[in-house]
Amino acid sequence: MAEMWITMGPQHPMTHGLWTLRVKVDGETVTDTEAELGYIHRGVEKICESRDFTQITPYCDRLCYVSAMTWAHSYIMAAEDLLEAEVPERAEYIRLMAAEVQRLASHLMWLGAFGPDIGNLTLMTWCLRDREMFLDLLQELGGSRMHYNYPRVGGVKRDIPIGWANRMKAKVKLFENRINEYEMLLDESTIWLVRLQGVGYATAEDQLDAGVTGPNIRAAGVNTDARWTNPYSVYDQVDWEPAVEKPTSVKGADCYDRYRVRMEEMRQSCRMLLDAIEKIPGGANTHYQPGDEMIYTKAPTRAPEGATGFSTYECTRGVSNFYIKGGGDGRGKNPYRLSIRSPMFLTIPYVAKTMIGYKVADIPAIMGSFDPCIGETDR
Amino acid sequence: MGTTITIEQNAEAAKAVVDNIAARFGDAGVTAEAIAHKAGKKFEYVRITCSPEQWRAVAKHMKKEIGVNNCAMVTGTHYPSGGDRGWEVAYHLHRWPIRNVGAHKMIVHKGEDLKGDDIPMEFEVFINLPEGNTPSVPSIQDIWEGADWNEKETWDLVGIDFEGHINMHRVLNPHDSPVGFHPLQRQHKIRYHDFNEMYDDPQGFGRKPVDEGRVK
Repeated sequence: MAEMWITMGPQHPMTHGLWTLRVKVDGETVTDTEAELGYIHRGVEKICESRDFTQITPYCDRLCYVSAMTWAHSYIMAAEDLLEAEVPERAEYIRLMAAEVQRLASHLMWLGAFGPDIGNLTLMTWCLRDREMFLDLLQELGGSRMHYNYPRVGGVKRDIPIGWANRMKAKVKLFENRINEYEMLLDESTIWLVRLQGVGYATAEDQLDAGVTGPNIRAAGVNTDARWTNPYSVYDQVDWEPAVEKPTSVKGADCYDRYRVRMEEMRQSCRMLLDAIEKIPGGANTHYQPGDEMIYTKAPTRAPEGATGFSTYECTRGVSNFYIKGGGDGRGKNPYRLSIRSPMFLTIPYVAKTMIGYKVADIPAIMGSFDPCIGETDR
Repeated sequence: MGTTITIEQNAEAAKAVVDNIAARFGDAGVTAEAIAHKAGKKFEYVRITCSPEQWRAVAKHMKKEIGVNNCAMVTGTHYPSGGDRGWEVAYHLHRWPIRNVGAHKMIVHKGEDLKGDDIPMEFEVFINLPEGNTPSVPSIQDIWEGADWNEKETWDLVGIDFEGHINMHRVLNPHDSPVGFHPLQRQHKIRYHDFNEMYDDPQGFGRKPVDEGRVK
């Protein structure tokens, strides 16, 4: 049969964002693919060159609208490295909890969007219902529902409110039961298993070489996680284990493994949250005023010429890196150059190539299982 | 309790890498030093400086002998008034203990038990290029697959030419962008970029003549 090119996107339910996958097909079989990115390139790196270090945080929130807190945290770590800031331990605990609540919300958004891809519409409503609980918790911290502008160089904007700890514990405990419910709904569904098992194989070594990280490589049987390999914050003090899934085939992890590892990761986030709230210095039901030395240490605002800052951070979709150079215009008030490495920018071209050989109907399952997010990809 | 890498392991691994690079490339002028992060847990990473001609040899050595298995980020920086340093290309690479993952195997490392080449490490490679309109670095597309799209992006945004890169094309800018347009070069200004803005009035609408030249 003659081969032909099909264009999926930029408006297509499979894309989970605004990008184009061009697929060459021979009958129903995919024989070649090309990814096209850049539809929502906003030039964040250029804009940041004329903003000071506090003003950059909101731009980093908007890199990924599903996972704002982790991206802001990732940027702040690089800025602290550049500006030589110290962070109080209580602030580190608050940041850890905020990041883990965000991870739960982000994974729920992924599951909610992945369900309809596979034909399970119930999942979307269930996941968005539960995600709202966690967005409410984050709203109490940052003041808005999705873009929090919460971490600061040297600490956090405000302390956790009185009662937040109890609300968080209640919601996390409720959600731990809900994970079991999801598994009853999905793991016993024939359609779910048939659509996910045996498609989209990827081995850990191939993925890492191509720049894919995070839950996608942990699904392939390795427990590499930047939260312990490149330690930051207080992850070494709380109780957790990296989620890892044994791949089902010699060819590596399939879509089902990637779904399983994210479910397990949500359990670990719950475990971490319940442990961190018990161990937080200063007590969980104390509220310190903004700027208190328990949650904020004053940091320099200017970076000298030649100084560099670099961070490695386990974002919800993989390892994100920030690299900042000091100096330049405004006598070091602005970064001279700020570079963002998004895990999805390398994952999407990789996934496009792994689809070769599968059927056209498998494309949504394969693409969705890698959790694409275009906001951070295009920057 | 979660597993972790200790600062002793990190210092030991950084020293081993620095010694390795110095022994192999020390005579050729490649420098390697262990630099500590200035915030957080203050772990060390390895900073390597080399010339464009040496870069491919250094990269191959890093992949084969040091076990670097992930090319995370390629950053180009433009210094229009930099004298002998007109451009700088910075590579950020990672080493993670993912090797020889067999079929049907699950490798669960415990951070404290890792030794030698298995200890995770961050690498930063600086390559300085002279001032000019055609900055060029050899491509490492064939060494790490992850470098492929990173190099495409760096060419697209900064205009660094990666010699030997196959299938170079625009990735973030439109495909019909003018030839030679690379927005992260310093001659391209965004609005208000050169404005001496007041801190809380970034657009400068409330600016009075008396504020001319004043920076808060």
